[in-house]
Amino acid sequence: MKAIWIARCTRRQMGAHRRVVFAATAAFGLLALVVGGAVLSARTSHRWGAFVGQNVHVIVYLTDDVDQDRSRGLAEILRRAPTVAQVTEVEPAQALARLASSAATIGTGATVLDGLESAYFPRSLEVNLAPAADLSERANDLAKRLRGVPGVAQVDAMTDGLARLSVWVGLGRKLVLGVLLASAVLALATLAAVFLRSRGVARGRAAVLVQLGETTSGIRLPSSLWMAMAALGGGGGGALLITLAWRPLIHRLETSLGMAATTPLPSLGSAELAVGIGLAVLLGLAMGFFATPLPQTDDHE
Amino acid sequence: MIWLEGVAYRRDGSVVLDGVTLGVASSDLIVIEGCTASGKTTLLEIAALARAPDAGTVWFAGRNVATLQRASLPFVRRNIGYCTAEPRLIPEDTALANVMLALAVRGHKPATAEASAKGALDLVKAGDLANRAVASLSPGQKRLVALARAVVGPPPLVIADEPAAGVGDEARAAVIRALTAARDLGAAVLCATADSTLADGLVLAGGRKIHIAQGRITGAPSMGLVPALPVPQPNGDEQPRNVIRPGTADADSDVDPQRLVPVAKEPA
Repeated sequence: MKAIWIARCTRRQMGAHRRVVFAATAAFGLLALVVGGAVLSARTSHRWGAFVGQNVHVIVYLTDDVDQDRSRGLAEILRRAPTVAQVTEVEPAQALARLASSAATIGTGATVLDGLESAYFPRSLEVNLAPAADLSERANDLAKRLRGVPGVAQVDAMTDGLARLSVWVGLGRKLVLGVLLASAVLALATLAAVFLRSRGVARGRAAVLVQLGETTSGIRLPSSLWMAMAALGGGGGGALLITLAWRPLIHRLETSLGMAATTPLPSLGSAELAVGIGLAVLLGLAMGFFATPLPQTDDHE
Repeated sequence: MIWLEGVAYRRDGSVVLDGVTLGVASSDLIVIEGCTASGKTTLLEIAALARAPDAGTVWFAGRNVATLQRASLPFVRRNIGYCTAEPRLIPEDTALANVMLALAVRGHKPATAEASAKGALDLVKAGDLANRAVASLSPGQKRLVALARAVVGPPPLVIADEPAAGVGDEARAAVIRALTAARDLGAAVLCATADSTLADGLVLAGGRKIHIAQGRITGAPSMGLVPALPVPQPNGDEQPRNVIRPGTADADSDVDPQRLVPVAKEPA
């Protein structure tokens, strides 16, 4: 069959089975959303992990008699600990400046801080731990050991915050995983239903075309083409949607949680999109091919 | 055009066809008349290359079909317009699209295919059904559309199995007109029916009638047809396999109607 007839047959099949075509497009779209969502979720999770790693895990408040040199010496000792990633010395003046900045951020008037002097604030050391799954335990352990050190007035392990964050992150992961799994099952079930429905329709058409002398490729090509077009439309639409929607969604979420991660928001690259859509088209072509069963008759073939 | 030589077929142990020899030449119209389960449909299926015989040889345009490569069969089948007893049509397509499909497979251009398909539908008095979906047609109307698809062109060989079953007198006359028109345009026409009115009508239009009963052809004076020219023998020692490829003129350039001509032969 010539190309013009293949095109006509493809168009006619798409017109005659609009619901199947729509379902196939929707299923491919959902599949693209699932795959794209999974990739972007993994990247977002990594980003948030990095964000948690950037936060201070232990604050060591020093006694008033500890001067800058001793503070520096303590910081140096802490830096040698294997679980510690970074130690920042905070001078009283710096602490006051931070407080003023925070007060301004939440809209508190400058008059509230009037009269405060930097001398009221103790020297402190902010400790960032190396990223690990048991960050909370490590922070607790370090705090316990620091509490007996001379010159240390108080140690604040941010374990409550870390534990809360871990719970939220874990819950979020489970939720995202559940949604992705449910969507994947729905998409694959729809594709299976489309495949079976197409197979039923194509069987009769194939029998007619075999009788008329059409070749195997000519019989299978229209189904493959419309399925590939559905994959291109659905997959492309899904990929475009997730690409456009993910960054604003994550940005809004992070803003509402007060997160200020410094790394760029995750997105899908153009090469990844091209590969994903190409794979969807190939899947569509294969589905169309196998959805056209050639009649098994007692014939010369 | 087609020559069936000693064709036999068994189904579930019982004999359906028992050594049938039959040929149809170009511009010839053969009517096979027989009662139910006499083997008509199986004979036509074998002639249409839809079924392989258990024994015997099928020659199409001088070539032994059994020796053709598998990939060649579609190119042979597109030279056959086959109207089955139960019309095989694409239900969601229109009648016109179904008829055009036969020409599409043969490589016609859409514009010429549409004109020819409309002509074929008019020929079987189904022109008003052209734009209706086949699913909405009655069984008799479907039969007419299937016949129109078989005769459109026409192809070198037209085979019709009970083409007038379930249709009225007017439609029967249209069936006769369509088959004889295909014959007049040079096609070899093979029609099987249990409808004696149709058979007589086709005989009156110049067709020749043979009878089939219990898988054997009976009482068929002047119906024997033998090859006039030598044809490849299937048991040749080093004979290469026949391959039919699509030709430039609608894929039937390999068909040579002169290779088979009718000659008088006494019935077996």
